Amino acid sequence: MSTVRYHVRHRTAYVYSGRIDLCHSLAHLAPREEVGQEILAHHLDVSPAPHYQMARKDYFGNGTNYFAIQGSHAEFAVISTFTVEKSDLVPVLPDSGLSWDRAWNRRLMVEQDETGICFGNYLLPTASCPSLEDIDAFLAPSLKPGREIMDLVNELMARIYTEFDYVPGATDNSTPLQVVLEQRKGVCQDFAHVMIAALRRINIPARYVSGYLETIPPPGVKKLQGADASHAWVEVHSPAGGWIGFDPTNNKIPGHQHIKIAHGRDYFDVRPLRGTFLGSGGQKLSVEVDVERV
Amino acid sequence: MSSKTGEVSAFDYRIQGDRRDEALSRDGVTAPEWGELFASLARHGSTVLSEWRNTAARISRERGLAYRPASIDGNPGEGWTLDPIPWIISPERWASLEAGISQRNRLYEKLLEDLYGPQRTLKERLFPAEILLSHPGYLRALHNLPPGNGIVGLGLSAFDVARDTAGQTFVVNDRFDRPFGLGLALENRTVVNKVLPRLFGRCGVRRIGQFFTDWFAYLGRCAPSGTAAPQVVILDSSEQGKDSELGFLANYCGISRAHPSDLTVRDGRVWIKALRGLVPVDVLWKTMAGRELDSLESENSSARGIAGIFEAIRGGGVAVASHPGSEALQSPGYYPYLPRLCRALLDEELLIPPVATWWCGQPKALSHVVENLATMVVKPAGPHHDFRTQYGSRLAGSELADLKAQILAHPTKFVGQEELLISTIPTSRPGGLVPRGAVVRMFSFQDGNQGIQVMPGGLARLSTESGVIVSTRNCGESKDVWVRSLLEEQPFSIASAISQTHLVSPDLVPSRTAENLFWTGRYAERTDVISRFAARVIDVRFQGFSQEHSIGQEHEDLLLQTLFKIFDCEGHLEDAKDADARLDLILRDRACPVGVTYNLERFFNATQTAREEWSPASTLTISACYEGWNGGPRGDGQREQFDSRLKMLQLNLSAFLGLNLDSMTRDEGWALLDAGRRLERSFIVSGLLSFLLKAELKEDMKALYNESILYFLDSVRTFQSRFHDTPSTELTVRLLLGEADYPKSVSYLLGRLHKVLRKLPTPGQQAHPCDLIEPWIEKMRRFNATMNEGKFRRRETILFLDELFAFLATLSDALTVSYFSHASKRR
Repeated sequence: MSTVRYHVRHRTAYVYSGRIDLCHSLAHLAPREEVGQEILAHHLDVSPAPHYQMARKDYFGNGTNYFAIQGSHAEFAVISTFTVEKSDLVPVLPDSGLSWDRAWNRRLMVEQDETGICFGNYLLPTASCPSLEDIDAFLAPSLKPGREIMDLVNELMARIYTEFDYVPGATDNSTPLQVVLEQRKGVCQDFAHVMIAALRRINIPARYVSGYLETIPPPGVKKLQGADASHAWVEVHSPAGGWIGFDPTNNKIPGHQHIKIAHGRDYFDVRPLRGTFLGSGGQKLSVEVDVERV
Repeated sequence: MSSKTGEVSAFDYRIQGDRRDEALSRDGVTAPEWGELFASLARHGSTVLSEWRNTAARISRERGLAYRPASIDGNPGEGWTLDPIPWIISPERWASLEAGISQRNRLYEKLLEDLYGPQRTLKERLFPAEILLSHPGYLRALHNLPPGNGIVGLGLSAFDVARDTAGQTFVVNDRFDRPFGLGLALENRTVVNKVLPRLFGRCGVRRIGQFFTDWFAYLGRCAPSGTAAPQVVILDSSEQGKDSELGFLANYCGISRAHPSDLTVRDGRVWIKALRGLVPVDVLWKTMAGRELDSLESENSSARGIAGIFEAIRGGGVAVASHPGSEALQSPGYYPYLPRLCRALLDEELLIPPVATWWCGQPKALSHVVENLATMVVKPAGPHHDFRTQYGSRLAGSELADLKAQILAHPTKFVGQEELLISTIPTSRPGGLVPRGAVVRMFSFQDGNQGIQVMPGGLARLSTESGVIVSTRNCGESKDVWVRSLLEEQPFSIASAISQTHLVSPDLVPSRTAENLFWTGRYAERTDVISRFAARVIDVRFQGFSQEHSIGQEHEDLLLQTLFKIFDCEGHLEDAKDADARLDLILRDRACPVGVTYNLERFFNATQTAREEWSPASTLTISACYEGWNGGPRGDGQREQFDSRLKMLQLNLSAFLGLNLDSMTRDEGWALLDAGRRLERSFIVSGLLSFLLKAELKEDMKALYNESILYFLDSVRTFQSRFHDTPSTELTVRLLLGEADYPKSVSYLLGRLHKVLRKLPTPGQQAHPCDLIEPWIEKMRRFNATMNEGKFRRRETILFLDELFAFLATLSDALTVSYFSHASKRR
């Protein structure tokens, strides 16, 4: 087995029209150590320098960084850089050996995954992945009795990929899932939410994954810096054991090109950077992500 | 009517059908603990009930009591009413309730510990996981905290207890996170104690004061280690203090109260923005939902909390009671599983069972609830505000079908409960006693030292005639709860006991309180002058002056224009069609910025937000101002009838201001109240004098206008004794601008402002306000010298006054920027 090494740089910057006196932030930017994903170095650079900061693990075991900037400032930038080594094994879809309509057992609700979290967290609806009639309608064509679970999940991924249009700007963080279902368009975050909401309706544990994706430029063209963005996909628990990734935006089982940061019940558990500011005026946000093979 | 026998029959108190009554058995025997009450009623006759009710209502009003929350549509709710007849409970009955509630509190305390820690009960499937994992009050951000952080347990808990027809006691509700009613219980006790002092003594009622003292002492002990004199603050998120029952409690106990925007997190600690700058807070007793406490980490993005406070809690920088995640325990979904949870967590049998409950997430329970819907009470398994409790027995067929569909669509979100026919207690109505269904809310907390403390009393809530218990948030009728003692009870003063806990810091004036004191002063003066305007207009109109009608009308128009111009709202005048409509803007309109009601309302709101500052006598005058004005006839009264109400209002306002002058400590808060008054007066006087000088009027009109201006400023008498002359513009200006010894003159007011503002600390980045006033005191001195030497110069005086008017606005802004900027203004 060989490995692929990436260098990732994720810069988030705010420029304010006025002065900010106090800013509290919570970052989900530290990448998780996973099987097939080794983190060689992670560094979080905040400017201006925080007066107070604390690194912790959240409920789901993701690394978080809290920091407060307590002096007057007009700009604020967080740069997360790390090097990651990914195994280049080509992922295969496992056979769970169980059909989706036979798998459900109430016990699963309180059984724990490898991180000690009850599956119930990944089985119940959340505000971003609610249980909706339109989700049931979307699910219906795939629910053939006796169908093997991973086969079903794979088809759902493919259907989201073909039935939904990837349109940047069509949605934002607050667009309800119902709207995404009606307009049949959105971005990676929305597609992940659709897939999670659907799987939870049929009692298959599913979680939201935030991370980055290497995009491969056409041959001979230098890859543009900052062209890559944060990405989101889904992990589904197989009764045969383990979490399997599914990327409905690309209709792909994530491999070495998917670099994982964090997972949770939905986007709101793993927002890369959230903050509250004390001060006046508007703000301008810019985000750059570079994923370079090294 | 009156009977000397002590027999209840004199009041025709009859139990309701075969319902159980707490005071009277089915065969007509009075329970011994109610004996004194019935005897007293027998002695006085049933007419005394109306008397008691009226006295109770009067005391509540005078003390500014009664919780008035906004109703769902945002209008003020009806407020709580208090039935002065207490619920009397025997020592034996109390002992068993106390034991049951203590156990329940211990049980939930253990459950909280487990659910935010090892989750053994969850993993062993002692209850369905959905109840916890779907509850928005389950805060994953506070899961598994290491010991030594700022996590307090459940803190204050409330349990609603009722008895059914068969005499079985049940818990019907639990309230954690921010239980309502402790402040109201204290209010009720305070009032009933005053209505029935002798009966209270004869019954040997247990005092509730110690409970409050213990509670605050406990809060003090929750402070992060190493804090010698912990700063305890009540965190109250209601926009206006009057909406909060805790305003009374804070005032009574002398504990500081803060709004989330008064607090900020820096260096991993919580600070309160006070006049002296940021002061660290060690313990917060919160009355806002835990899940909205931290606007940074809240799952609800619209939360208006304190950014970073969860990190401060995790880091041990502050202790917060109750545990912000304790709402996760507040679900009737746990009820079916409580007996087994009790055995697992306490190794005890549950003493008081919860009311029979079925969680619809389980197929069997669901079909039971759906099949018996007509006899079920349906409640949400999640937060109790999400869904209004439905009583199957009171729903029509189509409503039942809708409810059934709602449950079937999301069964995990609902529970069904057996509807209890709760026992009744005697309740006063003007004609006599009637039985009403009642539930008692008991309060308790787990004290680090001594186990569970249960308040020996509580809040009784009554059902309406149709039998439905009115939800607390919708208001209703309440009662004091008297627990009879086996021992001699000693009188107990909460205020003095609290002061011995050293939790009260009189130096701490939160910025919000400071701002409201300032505006209390400003609105008091403004309301006073406006009421004098109105009284003057009515005098001239109705009480016969020698002038012809046309002059009277011209004069009235002139006065109104002056008033509306000073407060920059002439637009309102233009919309009024005639003289009566114009006068009504002041007398009756609620939205006109120079209306009496508009300003009095603002005065009242400012006083209520700074409620902890007032002495009992001041509180009385505040409600006299407010109730006296609003209590009278509204739309239909003749305009001249306003005269006496206006005069009464002026009297009450001056009583309020005079009392504060006499009784408030001369601290920073007082300085701002006084500064507000003087600033408002300077502003009004300089505005009025400028108008007086600018007016081009005929001689007779000029004299009348002049006299009116002296009247507004309550200076007619002083003018006469000083000058022995008819009012002239020049003399009026000399008196009200230059007379340095006259407390109503601008010269005096500026000096006074300078003196009181000296008491305030120098603000961080701005100049001290006194530095702004000093050049003006000098200017004033030179202007007066010129005015006294030479001839009166009208044009220059006008210029001077207009400049002064502008300066006062600048000064007010400077005070706002320097002292009233709250800890956080969020975007």
